[in-house]
Amino acid sequence: MTTPMVGVIEKVKTWARVNSPWVIHFNSGSCNGCDIEILATLTPRYDVERFGIKLQGSPRHADVLICTGPVTLQARDRLVRVYEQMPEPKFVVAVGSCGISSGVFQGCYNVVGNIGDVIPVNVYVPGCPPRPEAIIYGVVQLLKSLQN
Amino acid sequence: MNLSLSPLVELLFFPGGLVLLASGLVYEFVDRKLVARFQNRIGPRWFQPLADVIKLLAKEEVIPAGVVKGLFIFLPIVALTSILTAALYVPMFGLKPAFSFPGDLVVTVYLLSLMTLCIGLAGANTEDRFSLVGATRALTQMFSYEAPFLLALLGPAIALGTWNIGQINSAAGNNLWFIIAQPFGFIAAVIGLMGKLELPPFDAPEAETEIVAGALTEYSGRGLALFRIGRDVELVIGLTLIASFYLGGLANPLDFLWKTLILLLVTAALQSLFARLRIDQTVGLWWRIGSIMVLLQLLAVVVGRLIAPLIPFLSSGG
Repeated sequence: MTTPMVGVIEKVKTWARVNSPWVIHFNSGSCNGCDIEILATLTPRYDVERFGIKLQGSPRHADVLICTGPVTLQARDRLVRVYEQMPEPKFVVAVGSCGISSGVFQGCYNVVGNIGDVIPVNVYVPGCPPRPEAIIYGVVQLLKSLQN
Repeated sequence: MNLSLSPLVELLFFPGGLVLLASGLVYEFVDRKLVARFQNRIGPRWFQPLADVIKLLAKEEVIPAGVVKGLFIFLPIVALTSILTAALYVPMFGLKPAFSFPGDLVVTVYLLSLMTLCIGLAGANTEDRFSLVGATRALTQMFSYEAPFLLALLGPAIALGTWNIGQINSAAGNNLWFIIAQPFGFIAAVIGLMGKLELPPFDAPEAETEIVAGALTEYSGRGLALFRIGRDVELVIGLTLIASFYLGGLANPLDFLWKTLILLLVTAALQSLFARLRIDQTVGLWWRIGSIMVLLQLLAVVVGRLIAPLIPFLSSGG
């Protein structure tokens, strides 16, 4: 196949990826504050289906893993397993202060560390908890980085 | 409309093949947009289903441990193929069916069910417990809606004395619309179609709050994309079948467009109105109410056909 053809196919693939990010939501030990904000993001008020974002139940269907919280000893294996179950290409968005630095749970006996210690993270969304607008903004930043 | 195209063009582009796939995506978009508007949302953009499908096709396909590999790969293909084959016997876009023979109604209904069967097998093939539960529910649901759906389509067929979809389509336009003559059959057909497509309130087989994604939990990438397109095309075919049987036949593409879109509006409204039924409620609804309603309807039709020749006034309908 000629190179321009490959270029066009890659462009189409990128276009599709950017316009149809299906997300899966995983809580690896957060206080539930960020999770409530994520659920609020998915409600009709913010209507993320406008951008093609859909919440999926199965990791096999998802492109973007939205994680919240520090990683606890218990949740660590599960988080890695969910990440491994997702088909390539896959991206991770860490939502909330705990995902960045373990937040108030830093140094707890049951906390392994932040999400970046366990799986590769593409975008961090700061906040305790971040507002739905911030979460949407974070996902948009991820999609913009895909485009380039 | 009586166009004659070469069979290859008919198969690959119009009315089969590419145009059919594209129409499936368009109808999925209309359906999602309508549901979104009913929920006071803005809803997806017009190219959303296309982007979804291309993205899924470009993704990695994970073949999980413990599955029969050949079956895992071929089931989506079989499902899509059967649906595309079914389209050849149906007056798609208001054109006359590409192929037809006496009794093709039964074949078409069976080809449409093959999709559900494939989903059931796909779920049972994997070791995942959610897939297994989803597969069980999908097959249970199939056994409950299949009989009322077929009986609902048989109503017009028996009234018109032919089991050929093309003939029913053209004859339905010359009679009183069957939605008025056989209202119960129409209701059963629309609800049966919604059950076939696992749309809410009949989405217990893929209830994401309970069993992740049902039978297709382990599917990713290509397999999932094929199942999704298959379901979209099945939606178009189902709407076409019901419109041609109950809404006075499809004489031309314009007829097809407004009749199927009105049906889609009805199904979208039902989807947003009702909450999900439990699987036992679904089965109960169809066997206790649906099939009895349709059976009574069918009995009336048969009796009507026997009596009609005796009464000159009614015989024009039969």
